[in-house]
Amino acid sequence: MSTSSRRDFLRTAGGGFGLMALGDLLAREPQPAGHHPAKAKAVIQIFCPGGMSQVDTWDHKPELAKRNGTPFDPGGKLQFFASKPGNCQGSHWTFQKHGACGRPMSALFPRLATCVDDMAFVHSMHSKSALHGPAMFMMNSGFILPGFPSMGAWVTYGLGSEANNLPGYVVLPDPRGLPPGGVLNWGAGFLPAKQQGTPMQTAADKPPLADLFAPDEFKSNPRDANLLSLLNRRHAAGRPGNSELEARIKAYEMAAKLQLSAPEATGITGESAATQKLYQLADEDIGPFGRQCLLARRLVERGVRFVQIFCGAENTTARKIRPNWDSHEDLPRDHGYWGRVLDGGAAALLKDLKVRGLLDETLVICTTEFGRQPAAQGSQGQGRDHNAGAFTAWLAGGGIRGGTSYGATDELGWKAAVNPTYSYDFHATALHLLGIDHERLSFYHNGIQRRLTDVHGHVIKELII
Amino acid sequence: MVETSKTEAAAAASFDKICSARHLRLVKRLIAWLLLGPGLLISLAAQQPHWSLRPITSPPVPPAKMAHPIDAFIGQRLKEAQLEPSAPADRRTLIRRLHFDLHGLPPTPEDVEAFVNDPDPKAYEKLVDSLLDSPHFGERFARHWLDIAHYADTHGFERDKLRPDAWPYRDYVIRAFNADKPYARFLQEQIAGDVLWPNDPDAVVATGFLAAGPWDFVGQVETKSPILRRSARALDLDDMMTQVMTATTAMTVNCARCHDHKLDKIPQEDYYRLTAVFAGLKRGSRNVSDDALAQHNARKKAIEDKLSQAQFAIGELEGRGIDLADVVGGGNGFGTGRKGIGLDARTAKVQERPFGDLGNVKPGNYAKSAYNFVDGVFVPAKGETPISSTDLKATGLPANGGKAWDMIRNGPVASQHSTEWGGVDYNKADHSLLGLHANAGITFDLAAIRKATGINGLRFSTVVGYGGITVQPSAEFRVLVDGKLAAHQRIGRKDAVTVEFNLSDDARFLTLISTDGGNGYSHDQISFGNPRLTPIKPKQLTADDQKKLEQLRRQKARLEMELANLGEPPKFYGVIPEQPPVVKVLHRGNPESPRDPASPGTLRWVKGLKADFGDHNMPEGQRRAALAKWITHANNPLTRRVIVNRLWQWHFGRGIVDTPSDFGRGGQKPTHPELLDWLAEELRLRKGSLKAITRLIVTSATYRQVSHTVHGKATDADNRFLWRQNPRRLQAEAMRDAVLATSGKLNHKAGGPGYRDFKYTQAYAPIYQYITPDTPDLWRRSIYRFVVRTTPHEFLTTLDCPDPANLTPKRLTTTTPLQALTLSNNPFMLKQTGYFAMRLKQDAGALPENQIVRAFQLAFSRPPTPIEAKAALQTVRTKGLFALCHAVLNANEFAYVD
Repeated sequence: MSTSSRRDFLRTAGGGFGLMALGDLLAREPQPAGHHPAKAKAVIQIFCPGGMSQVDTWDHKPELAKRNGTPFDPGGKLQFFASKPGNCQGSHWTFQKHGACGRPMSALFPRLATCVDDMAFVHSMHSKSALHGPAMFMMNSGFILPGFPSMGAWVTYGLGSEANNLPGYVVLPDPRGLPPGGVLNWGAGFLPAKQQGTPMQTAADKPPLADLFAPDEFKSNPRDANLLSLLNRRHAAGRPGNSELEARIKAYEMAAKLQLSAPEATGITGESAATQKLYQLADEDIGPFGRQCLLARRLVERGVRFVQIFCGAENTTARKIRPNWDSHEDLPRDHGYWGRVLDGGAAALLKDLKVRGLLDETLVICTTEFGRQPAAQGSQGQGRDHNAGAFTAWLAGGGIRGGTSYGATDELGWKAAVNPTYSYDFHATALHLLGIDHERLSFYHNGIQRRLTDVHGHVIKELII
Repeated sequence: MVETSKTEAAAAASFDKICSARHLRLVKRLIAWLLLGPGLLISLAAQQPHWSLRPITSPPVPPAKMAHPIDAFIGQRLKEAQLEPSAPADRRTLIRRLHFDLHGLPPTPEDVEAFVNDPDPKAYEKLVDSLLDSPHFGERFARHWLDIAHYADTHGFERDKLRPDAWPYRDYVIRAFNADKPYARFLQEQIAGDVLWPNDPDAVVATGFLAAGPWDFVGQVETKSPILRRSARALDLDDMMTQVMTATTAMTVNCARCHDHKLDKIPQEDYYRLTAVFAGLKRGSRNVSDDALAQHNARKKAIEDKLSQAQFAIGELEGRGIDLADVVGGGNGFGTGRKGIGLDARTAKVQERPFGDLGNVKPGNYAKSAYNFVDGVFVPAKGETPISSTDLKATGLPANGGKAWDMIRNGPVASQHSTEWGGVDYNKADHSLLGLHANAGITFDLAAIRKATGINGLRFSTVVGYGGITVQPSAEFRVLVDGKLAAHQRIGRKDAVTVEFNLSDDARFLTLISTDGGNGYSHDQISFGNPRLTPIKPKQLTADDQKKLEQLRRQKARLEMELANLGEPPKFYGVIPEQPPVVKVLHRGNPESPRDPASPGTLRWVKGLKADFGDHNMPEGQRRAALAKWITHANNPLTRRVIVNRLWQWHFGRGIVDTPSDFGRGGQKPTHPELLDWLAEELRLRKGSLKAITRLIVTSATYRQVSHTVHGKATDADNRFLWRQNPRRLQAEAMRDAVLATSGKLNHKAGGPGYRDFKYTQAYAPIYQYITPDTPDLWRRSIYRFVVRTTPHEFLTTLDCPDPANLTPKRLTTTTPLQALTLSNNPFMLKQTGYFAMRLKQDAGALPENQIVRAFQLAFSRPPTPIEAKAALQTVRTKGLFALCHAVLNANEFAYVD
């Protein structure tokens, strides 16, 4: 519900609201238009947990390939997360220039390569931690500790939602399991609990929301909504001072509507054969992620403000390959698998949004928690260890200038060298496109006006139309 | 989506308004700074300290008709605001309010009727006293305190392992509230109980407070990167210090980590002086006390000795012999050892936790073992290596990489890929496994074994396998008798090698060695399946022997039961002290930019109290004792103000200061400063009794007002002056407990390990999958829940249960459609709805009219009105009792306290 319609609701909600309470709520509503005109209305964030290797994907490093097999750290002083550096290891995939912009991309992404003119890359991302959990939290909340609101929570806190009968912040986890750090990645931290992301079940055969319907064994137990209504009305009538009672009655009415709207949003049988093919839903590996991407488009179409998709899990006992991008032993195998998955789903999403005219007002973000080392890891030299010093994130749509890039790593792709950027600038830029000044979106907690960007952050103007 | 929240207003306000107000204030201060100069400003500030830092006054109770001092203070402000207080609530309302406030549970219908009909004019005071005396009081108040301590039963972070011994601290908090422990003592125990009262188990367990928050295993232990470790450690100390300072003094010292506090007079150095107080502490499991441990061990040893004797006798009669894996696990070879216990090949130290790659490995070093049956352990060197305490040497050993992994274990080693070879899983019951990852060796003392067991004529047998994933033969094992090679082979994943031979009666040492085959030690998980020493000649059993054997087996079963009942030694999750390193001020909070040293101390502005505790050599314990003394000193104006404000908040939903953990300039000002000071003084006069202050608060007319009036809304919409009581919604845990109490299924079992309403699967990051709690052991009060950090409880989180990553001084209340879905469709709720219906039939018989009355009494503490009774009867007749119960448990009246 937009801010204005939210006001309308409050105005017409009936006798339950005392006049003063209504006045209070209205006076403290966020500015309907945010701080400045917005370019994007909604965000779809694709998160690739585990740590995507920048030098095998988006960040072309010819010098690294030249030094293939030579010692990466001749002094022998470095100690990575789990290992000592091996020799220099060039990209496991070849790079080629693509699109009108001529930006290089590795052969891991043949489909995304055709979207490059819509994508803008930040090559100089770095993180404050090389541990999965903390680095995940940093990219999602700006802090390496748990307990801080995620970006989606901040955005819906600031802007509300335009979805009538759906949550404003929806999360689509990998059907294989939760990412490192678990559900805290979409937590509301100290913001009100309603700002937390609502995870939707992405497997095709399950109800989209927890507790949306009673389990089968209770299906035959009738309920009496009229009795509940009578009890609540009579109870509220004697308590005109408590405006929460009316809100709780409304919440039950909304819950009934959700039972229709949530399955409608996630039921994709109505999508054309061409669309289902575009997202490769029939492909055993790409299909589940394709479905997540398609659901994201459908949710944004229905006014959901922030959709977060995870491309990879943790907390899973899947053995065939690494359950996410964390390729310590065999990067060609694991990045090969996940790259194909990401390429299929993300390219379909960008093309689909574009065709439907939604890309202009939808900001698509793709990121990971940190990068990987340019040096090889493991006895076969096929893996790469964690690297908090550099990674690449990209953005598209929603006011982003396609075909551009910002920042650069050193000649080996080891550390962010030009315009090093933490999550702060990245988040500030995304908020800016949504019409929010990141320094003015704050919440008091334990002595501090907290922000998504802590005490940092600059909008990266170079990436914006 | 339509949602409202109690705190939305305050939250949304900060979007712009507060921020610009804050900016304005900062600009004003900046101007003042520029005009007056820093020195002047500080001296000005020194003359006019912030309200919370001024000494506590003893304000006179305002003259008033009201007899109760609290009402006199509240009445004075109401009068100034030209507001009238509201009428007292009726007894039905009061007993429900009191029960939820003091116990977190609804009153029973019998409680309600007894109170409503009590002719005693002091009936209310009697009720308050009986509720304060009930053990449920501690269960309710512990919930408030554990919110402030961000207590949970797992470590949190990426791995989020179990913390199965956290609960003793939770039980301590409950006990402390029930015993009405004086507040100063309560704090002193939690900060330095192990130092101040080392022989009082209660005081020692109290220090679980310091360790209650999350702990990053990957950042502090697993990673090899020293930079990452320093970063994780800095955050660990920050969490500990912040918790202590905000909980006790509501000072946001954490804001001064990277720079001087922007609002309060807390220089960055003070942050590090306070950090130095805790810098010697690590979180971990520890003994409650040496005495308790010694007692436990003595009892355990007595049982084990008897068990050993029985097992020897059984083993001898059965001819089963000695299990060498059990010996490695600290046992006698007959099953007294523990699975997973290991010996360190470097030092022969006994270890429980998993290790990875070992540092400081010295090939060729022999370490003598304290075990009776193990002579010693070693990491083999190339060529010649000592293999016994008598300086026996093995020769002709192949070259190896000189590295070692994990311990020599009773069971698989850390990260072992498989425990199965030759079609047998040696990790299953009735089998045993001695894990010996390359490169390591162990020598057993055959003479000691013969002496203890009296068995001569021994035969050694085992099936050696390779637990790693590598198929090609990759590692070598060796078996030696008195240094002479008896068996050796290079093996891989597919091999299963049977080794069997008789030992001569003068053989002294049996040695097992694994080496890495010279191609790196990765995956070289050599394992000895069923490694045994058995009598060569099996015994022929006579009828007497058979009888004796039966008897021994029964005795063994009894002793094993006794041992199991004895349980684990009294351990708890707390802090492990060591002498702290020199703490340095970190430039911009960066652990990689240490600057000047900071010696242990605290904030400097409490007059007459020493803020500098000592120098860098000050012993660890004295630092905490000094801080505990500073915090609880009568002259510290913060501590008492902070706790009486919290008590106030727990009874009105909002404190006299609405930022209960921030009494600095960034926080709110008190609405009733004189009342706050008067309560703080009362706390001192009443010797720190929290129950006494609670009694004062709930016996006031202010507390007893009705909550439904609206006459003050125009003047004071937020009810800051308390012209009525605040209606409040049940918190998540109280909601769950109330549902169970109403359905009749609440299990009142108090204390001990928490109930686990989830399925636990061991994995790199353990998997916690919540189940529908539908057995009595899972129907205990929510305070006894095993709280998992990274996988929050879906049901409770939806109902606004906070994330235990955060210190939560005040809970938020939201109202959302997801809550409606959860309460009306969640399987737990529906099961309980069914039990509620069954209970009504049991309690009230078959007549629907009686069932309906009982339902309203149980859920709402009142009978139905005629209109409600009529509608309910219609529901029961057309849709059944379940439908009535469902409506009642979902009704607003069930979820709200007037």
